[in-house]
Amino acid sequence: MDATTYGWLILAFPLAGSMIIAFGWKLLPGRAAGWIGTAAIGLSFLVTLGALFQILGLPAEERQLTDSLYDYASAGGLDIQMNILVDPLSVFMCLVVSGISTMIHLYSISYVTSDRGFNRFFSYLNFFVFSMLLLVLAGNIVLLIVGWAFVGFASYALISFWYRRTTATEAGMKAFVINVVGDIGLVLAALFIFRELGTFDLLAIFEQAPEQFSTNEGVVVLIGILLLVGAFAKSAQVPFHTWLPDAMEGPTPVSALIHAATMVTAGVYLIGRFYPIFEIALTAADIAAIVGLVTLLIAATIALVVTDNKRIIAYSTMSQIGYMIMGVGIGAYSAAFFHLMTHAFFKALLFMTAGSVIGAMANRQNIDLMGGFRRSLPFTSALLIIGCLALAAFPGTSGFFSKDAILAFAEYRGGAYWVFAIGGYIGALMTAIYAFRIGFRIVAGPPCEVARDLEQGVHHHVEPQNPATGEAEDTDVGFPGEKHNIAEDNWPMKIAMSVLGIGALFSGYIQVPGVTDVLHTFLEGSFEDSKLYFEQPTDAAEWRGLATGALISLTGIAIAHHFFLRNRAAAARLQARLPGLHTFLANKWYFDEAIDLLIVRPTLAFGRWCDSTFERYVVEGLVSGAQGVAKGGNSAVRTAQSGYLRSYALLLFVGFAGLGLYFLIAGS
Amino acid sequence: MIQVMLWLPLAAALLACLAPRRAAGWVAALGAAGTLGLAIALLAGFDSASAGIQHAVDEAWIPDLGVRYSLGVDGISIFLVLLTSVAWFAATTWSAIRMPERPKTYFLMLGIAQTATLGAFISQDLLLFVLFFDLMLIPFYFLFGSWGSDHPGREGEGAIRRSPATIKMVVYTLVGSLLMLAGAIATGVIAGDGTPVFSMAELRADPLGEDSQRWIFWFFAAAFLVKMPAFLVHGWMPDAYRVAPLAVLAVFAAVLSKVAAYGFLRVVLPIFPDATIQFQEVILVVALASILYGSVMAFTQTSARLVAGYSSVAQLGFITLGIFALRPDGADGAVLQMVNHGLVIVPLMLIMVILAERTGGDDITRMGGLALRAPVLAALFLVVTMALLAIPGSANFIGEFYILNGVFQEKIVFALIASIAMAMAAYYALRLFQHAMHNRKRDDVESKEIGWREGAIVGALVACIVGLALYPGIVLERSDESVKDTVSAVQEPSDEVAARR
Repeated sequence: MDATTYGWLILAFPLAGSMIIAFGWKLLPGRAAGWIGTAAIGLSFLVTLGALFQILGLPAEERQLTDSLYDYASAGGLDIQMNILVDPLSVFMCLVVSGISTMIHLYSISYVTSDRGFNRFFSYLNFFVFSMLLLVLAGNIVLLIVGWAFVGFASYALISFWYRRTTATEAGMKAFVINVVGDIGLVLAALFIFRELGTFDLLAIFEQAPEQFSTNEGVVVLIGILLLVGAFAKSAQVPFHTWLPDAMEGPTPVSALIHAATMVTAGVYLIGRFYPIFEIALTAADIAAIVGLVTLLIAATIALVVTDNKRIIAYSTMSQIGYMIMGVGIGAYSAAFFHLMTHAFFKALLFMTAGSVIGAMANRQNIDLMGGFRRSLPFTSALLIIGCLALAAFPGTSGFFSKDAILAFAEYRGGAYWVFAIGGYIGALMTAIYAFRIGFRIVAGPPCEVARDLEQGVHHHVEPQNPATGEAEDTDVGFPGEKHNIAEDNWPMKIAMSVLGIGALFSGYIQVPGVTDVLHTFLEGSFEDSKLYFEQPTDAAEWRGLATGALISLTGIAIAHHFFLRNRAAAARLQARLPGLHTFLANKWYFDEAIDLLIVRPTLAFGRWCDSTFERYVVEGLVSGAQGVAKGGNSAVRTAQSGYLRSYALLLFVGFAGLGLYFLIAGS
Repeated sequence: MIQVMLWLPLAAALLACLAPRRAAGWVAALGAAGTLGLAIALLAGFDSASAGIQHAVDEAWIPDLGVRYSLGVDGISIFLVLLTSVAWFAATTWSAIRMPERPKTYFLMLGIAQTATLGAFISQDLLLFVLFFDLMLIPFYFLFGSWGSDHPGREGEGAIRRSPATIKMVVYTLVGSLLMLAGAIATGVIAGDGTPVFSMAELRADPLGEDSQRWIFWFFAAAFLVKMPAFLVHGWMPDAYRVAPLAVLAVFAAVLSKVAAYGFLRVVLPIFPDATIQFQEVILVVALASILYGSVMAFTQTSARLVAGYSSVAQLGFITLGIFALRPDGADGAVLQMVNHGLVIVPLMLIMVILAERTGGDDITRMGGLALRAPVLAALFLVVTMALLAIPGSANFIGEFYILNGVFQEKIVFALIASIAMAMAAYYALRLFQHAMHNRKRDDVESKEIGWREGAIVGALVACIVGLALYPGIVLERSDESVKDTVSAVQEPSDEVAARR
């Protein structure tokens, strides 16, 4: 089979799975939907492997293949095909997306087992994966936008999955609307591209762009910035990030999916995919790098103070995606995608362990309530520590190699790019601290009450509350299910977490400076014309970077050890000494409030003004004659009975006929 | 065949009057089904490579006055005919299930309305078009006035009573209609040499002088803009939408507004090309204002009917924007979007019937939690919502994309501003869905699944939406030639016109 045939199959399985579950929701017994969903994504992963081997069998310069299924919407001079692009980059993304997603599906079978919406959950989950795969495989920008928007839709559906919670439905809406703003960026970029180049086809765009545009020409920078709006909205970069922490309202596996595989990485992919544009639009590329840096620092500071376990991990995602966006912005493509992959392993793992802990805590998520789970949840604790090590870039783990590859490239580019390296290392220090803030708080220290009881084999069950508002959940109707699941009791969760744990520990070894270069070599086929891709720092420079990274990581862990394990009172003292800073960070830099003040309120106020004033006085009063007649009719009707209607209509008929007659006579 | 299709709804409606009371609805529904079948057959026999009028019927009607009974379809009208048939089939069947009071008159009116609407779409004679256009109003006047219901209105304001609301609508549209009638007659008389000429083809081949075009253009534009309705002349819409019976409102909102948009394409562009070019920007401004104003209003409303109503104002703004880009891609998008919008509004209105039954009204702040025991309803509503907000991947998105592309190439600022409305649409459409289906169920709300017959109707419409989403090219490819032909009228004015300048 062709690589493109595999490509279509990659899309077909998740879509089929989603539809089978959706239409068979009443017929499927027990947990069948979960297994169907998992199998669909698993098959998608297998055919991705097929595509991979097909591609590897081709000469390096012939590894970009397209195939069109049919004319999707072509008329009036526009040519929009239903076509896919199978090349090393899209195959790599498909491997990550389908591979990680399979594990998340497997985990979910246990995790949402008692939830009323079990089948709905898996149907959406499959659709989510399908959308992301469509996004990365799309062969033209319109289809890319379709995948892009479907991802937004699926995230909406899953974030507001527990739709009885007002907080969840509002979070879903927020995610969706911010994502639509990103969509508009992409749409306008597509329109500009079409005006300048006359095509929507990705390969044609990339071929023509260097010929048509001169370096840093206004329009190409504008195209770059519009693409970035899309990328920032989807990848939760400042100032479009506010939906991401709220998205924690979704069930934990959804968070894993959004953060590891199917959503926030899309922006990184987009910038990488459009490298021919960004290598001409240098200003846009710099903006990407700067925003990435700003995001990674802001998010890291917030992650240091928030107390909700899932939200800490969410801010860490924002921060890590910041590294990737910075990476593709400065031209460290293979390093950024390398980090995308390793991050997918350890971030999915972290969320899974969080889910298990939350299961033990009966849906409470505040880390201040947790502690000492190492004996009661030994398996979860071990994997949680593995995830934290990788996140903190502990020497030898996957995050260690990938994060430092980005920073080494920033150093290599020299000049002002040093800022990115230094900022990145500052971020890395904070990352190590907050990673082990979670790690030490949950695993080590004196066991909390829940942990003590669990050691005796008693699984706590409190009536679940909405973690955001404290509102009692209605488990009587299965929102969420009445069972709390921990990995220790469920083998599918254990398998999924083990696989990811292995990835989090060892996947870094595919790209060790001076030793292995698997990913960089493989992705070459997609970056053939890049000016920056083939520039690489020397092995010595990379190892120097790794040494620096190791030092910073260990320092951060040591700081965390001091504040969050050995001397817990010190953390509180520090907080008390800097109340202003703490409030500022705990309020997430007031981004929500600023957006509310600058955009939401003015728009609503304008809407209300239109409704109450403009509509009533201008629109109603405009055709005063019509108004007068209507009023006349009004009062007439009040006095007359419904028979009046008929006589009025008769009058209308007669009047009509008379008028017509008059004109006809006058005309002839 | 085209004649049978045109008169079948009326004939079925008359037959329904003779049928027993209980069967009246089903006779009418059968008529609507037959019409739909004929419309599909018409499409099957349609040659999409040709831009001209197909299935033409042309007979002298009032020879002395130059009025001809001239019918036919081209790539633009064929899909609007199909949309009309689909919408009426759905609404008639729905009504047959629900059984309104005084069913015979109800279905008679519905039948007259369908024949009038189909007539407007297939008329190739200007006066015939105007007559059908005006005839549409009468049955809807009765349907709104007699089968509508008073609306409680907003808090702090009085109730909206159906009779004044209906009369307001009639007065507004009648003013437009009469202007148009006058304009049509003036056109025919000025163009004719002794005997008036009303054939659209002849009028197009030999356009009026620029001065005449300039004032007659506004007579037609006024009628169409009121009917849509567009910004500033939409004053009749809020009241009429709140009192109308929903099944009737479904066809009204889905199809009648399209007759107006269609009128721009069929009448204004080809027959008044010079005036069209001259007033392009004026109409674009009106369209843009409709888009923004409709969107802003839609997200402040608490009445579900008005959310739909104002979103239609915005959508019709998009369609007008596409037409007045005066480019094939913009107009292609406009035609597609007419079909899309109709296909979305019909199920939306029908779902609102269900919502009203479960919650006792159309106030979205008093709804909530309906999804709990009604997953099928929720799923159908969700698809409709996504199409309403034109999510990429729906045909609605392709329509908007084509429209924006057309305007973008021609008048870039309009496209940039119009694109904001896409985000607003996301908000108001989702808000409607969420308020109705999600959050905790209120105690006075009943969460019950949609019945299987109603579900089948809405499901079939949703299937149309999905089908079109998978392959919007089915419309674009077939209408492209006719659209190009229509738009070419304003792109290259005839030599004669050029010479007269």
